[in-house]
Amino acid sequence: MNRRSYLKSLAFIGIVASSISGYKWYKLNKSINLQSLKEKEMLIAEIAELIIPQTETPGAKSAGVHKYIIDVITNCTTKNVQNHFVDGLNDFEQFSTSNYGKPFLELTAKEKGSIVQHFSDNANYRYPILNKINNKFFGESFFSKFRNLTIEGYCGSRLGATEGLAYDYIPGTFKACISIQANQKSWATK
Amino acid sequence: MFINRNIDGGTYDAIVIGSGISGGWAAMELCKKGLKTLLLERGRDVKHIVDYPTATLNPWDFKFGMNNTIADNKSDPVQSGAYNPGSKHFYIRDADQPYIQDKPFNWFRGNQVGGRSLTWGRQCYRLSDLDFEANIKESVAVDWPVRYKDLAPWYSYVESHIGVSGQRENLKHLPDGEFLSPMELNCIEKHLAQSIKKNDQNRLLTIARVANLTRGWDSRGPCQNRNLCERGCPFGGYFSSNSSTIPAAMATGNLTLRPHSIVTEVLYDEQKKKAKGVRIIDALTNEVLEFNSKIVFINASTIATASILLNSTSNRFPNGLGNDSEQVGHNLMDHHSSAGASGAHDGYSDLYYKGRRPCGFLIPRFRNLSDSESHAFKRGYNIQGHGEREEWGDKSGHLTGIGKDFKDKLTTPGSWTVWMAGWGECLPYYENMVSLDNSTKDKWGQPLIKINFSFKNNESDMMNDIKETSVQMLEQAGFRNVIGFNYNKPGGATVHEMGTARMGRDAKTSVLNAYNQMHNVSNVFISDGSFMTSSACQNPSLTYMAFTARACAYAVNELKKGKI
Repeated sequence: MNRRSYLKSLAFIGIVASSISGYKWYKLNKSINLQSLKEKEMLIAEIAELIIPQTETPGAKSAGVHKYIIDVITNCTTKNVQNHFVDGLNDFEQFSTSNYGKPFLELTAKEKGSIVQHFSDNANYRYPILNKINNKFFGESFFSKFRNLTIEGYCGSRLGATEGLAYDYIPGTFKACISIQANQKSWATK
Repeated sequence: MFINRNIDGGTYDAIVIGSGISGGWAAMELCKKGLKTLLLERGRDVKHIVDYPTATLNPWDFKFGMNNTIADNKSDPVQSGAYNPGSKHFYIRDADQPYIQDKPFNWFRGNQVGGRSLTWGRQCYRLSDLDFEANIKESVAVDWPVRYKDLAPWYSYVESHIGVSGQRENLKHLPDGEFLSPMELNCIEKHLAQSIKKNDQNRLLTIARVANLTRGWDSRGPCQNRNLCERGCPFGGYFSSNSSTIPAAMATGNLTLRPHSIVTEVLYDEQKKKAKGVRIIDALTNEVLEFNSKIVFINASTIATASILLNSTSNRFPNGLGNDSEQVGHNLMDHHSSAGASGAHDGYSDLYYKGRRPCGFLIPRFRNLSDSESHAFKRGYNIQGHGEREEWGDKSGHLTGIGKDFKDKLTTPGSWTVWMAGWGECLPYYENMVSLDNSTKDKWGQPLIKINFSFKNNESDMMNDIKETSVQMLEQAGFRNVIGFNYNKPGGATVHEMGTARMGRDAKTSVLNAYNQMHNVSNVFISDGSFMTSSACQNPSLTYMAFTARACAYAVNELKKGKI
């Protein structure tokens, strides 16, 4: 390859690369139709409940976590994150239709569970350092973001804090070292 | 803009500019000594308890949890780094009060009655002669014109008023104070303390000394262990101007508190060679007013104080009030608190705690205590940190899985962990400075403040040592997953700005004398962080309060003697 065509091919690679990243930039920075998020409220509630289910203590759905997630995504995240999030929900639904032939909400509990499990299994690398690198360059994975918002929403909710966890509104005193109780829940606030 | 001019605002014995932690003290001391005092505050009024709207809210009362909104982050690029939805109302709106950052510098501002005394970290540590003698011994900057013995009674005086809980440790370089009973270390902190003591006889770990009350004090408190201090305390569990000094000043009948008063300059009387008062803009009415007084205390916080001085020009002082030395605005310092380490421990899994202690632990300075030590850096640092069991906020991000099993792990106490970082001394550098940019004006027509600050080699060498040493101490104590860090935070991030009108023995090289009195203008006193000749590594508020009380006593005496 002579020098000229070498440079040409470099330029070509450059253009392709920049148009790919340009598309990605467009995709992540386009204005998002937040109404579509509202329409997915039931889907969000179902996924959240599968992450933190009702057990002997309330689950994500009765704690209103879906409302929290929509509020936070809408008001407290960048367009980039919002698009990432909506795309993730779409992937979720697509996965459901192509593997089960039905929208997620129409699946059996078991089927729903295995889809959420699938996304959970693929949300993180095994090594924290790889997650760190991935998050830095591509943003937090959809499912990881979803799960973290579910945790935040649940643990900060009235039901989550007071029943799922131990909430001590006004401790009064500080007891520095006490024996842990049977079925000890961790404190809801620091 | 149209500005009304209504010159005569009135005459007082004393004017205090700024109602934060040192201004509140100046107002109280001057009022108690019988001076009719005008306390000017740039921001709005904040009354103790009634103006703490978030103080008793539950986590679920915040629609977005502790997340700031995108709109917050956009409109307050600096302040949003410090506030959350529970404390936002105690920070300024950045858009209203822009400043120029030659290099990144976080200027966190609480322009309201009480200033940043509402949101301070409450750590109270005395300086010692190790600190006061450091400059002269090392030929850095200028000598402090005071020594520990001059300050010791004033530290006691202030501690006895504000209430400081702490443990006596009998260290020469971190003198004990007048302490209420200490808060208690939890089991992992006690474990680390034992390990440190065993491995190095020159080091110890003690509970933080904080202005949180372990018993009722001065009709306040005790602290309820809610750890929500930054929202203002409805129990008066910690010291602030709002809960203590301003009400005490008010009770004398001598205080006039005037919020919404932006001081633009201190006025100089060329005949009498003294300050005659101050000029303000009323932030609500846009009126320009002048107030007269016999003495002026400037406690606007070091960056704002420097800007007021630089803006106060006259024939006598074309470069700013009392600025013959050309030091005003220079020698800006802030502590660094970027480097440290964290780790987890597998022991004590059957133990927990109850209550949210509003402080952590302290490992007092152990570097360069004697001249014989040799390190890559001058001065030293103390390490502050805390131990706890991992709770949901710590697990979020690395806990994987879904379902009941996941929920159980999420909602039960995890491993014990310790996080700790070094609060390090920053040397005074002439080129780290505050200046005025007269080419750009804010909405009040005042020049923008420009900040040029960076940490240098001494600080970064110290940070390396902090990181290394912190890792070592945790590893020696049997912690696993020990990770050293350096957050590389910019200047201002520790919110200990100081040094822009330093005190010294010589009027040619310093702005203030040993009594916080201007060398060049005898009736002007500055006792916020501006006076600091070096930064030491201790959290500085207690020192500002002690110097303020001392300066007030001196000023009133001099006034009585007819000397000012």
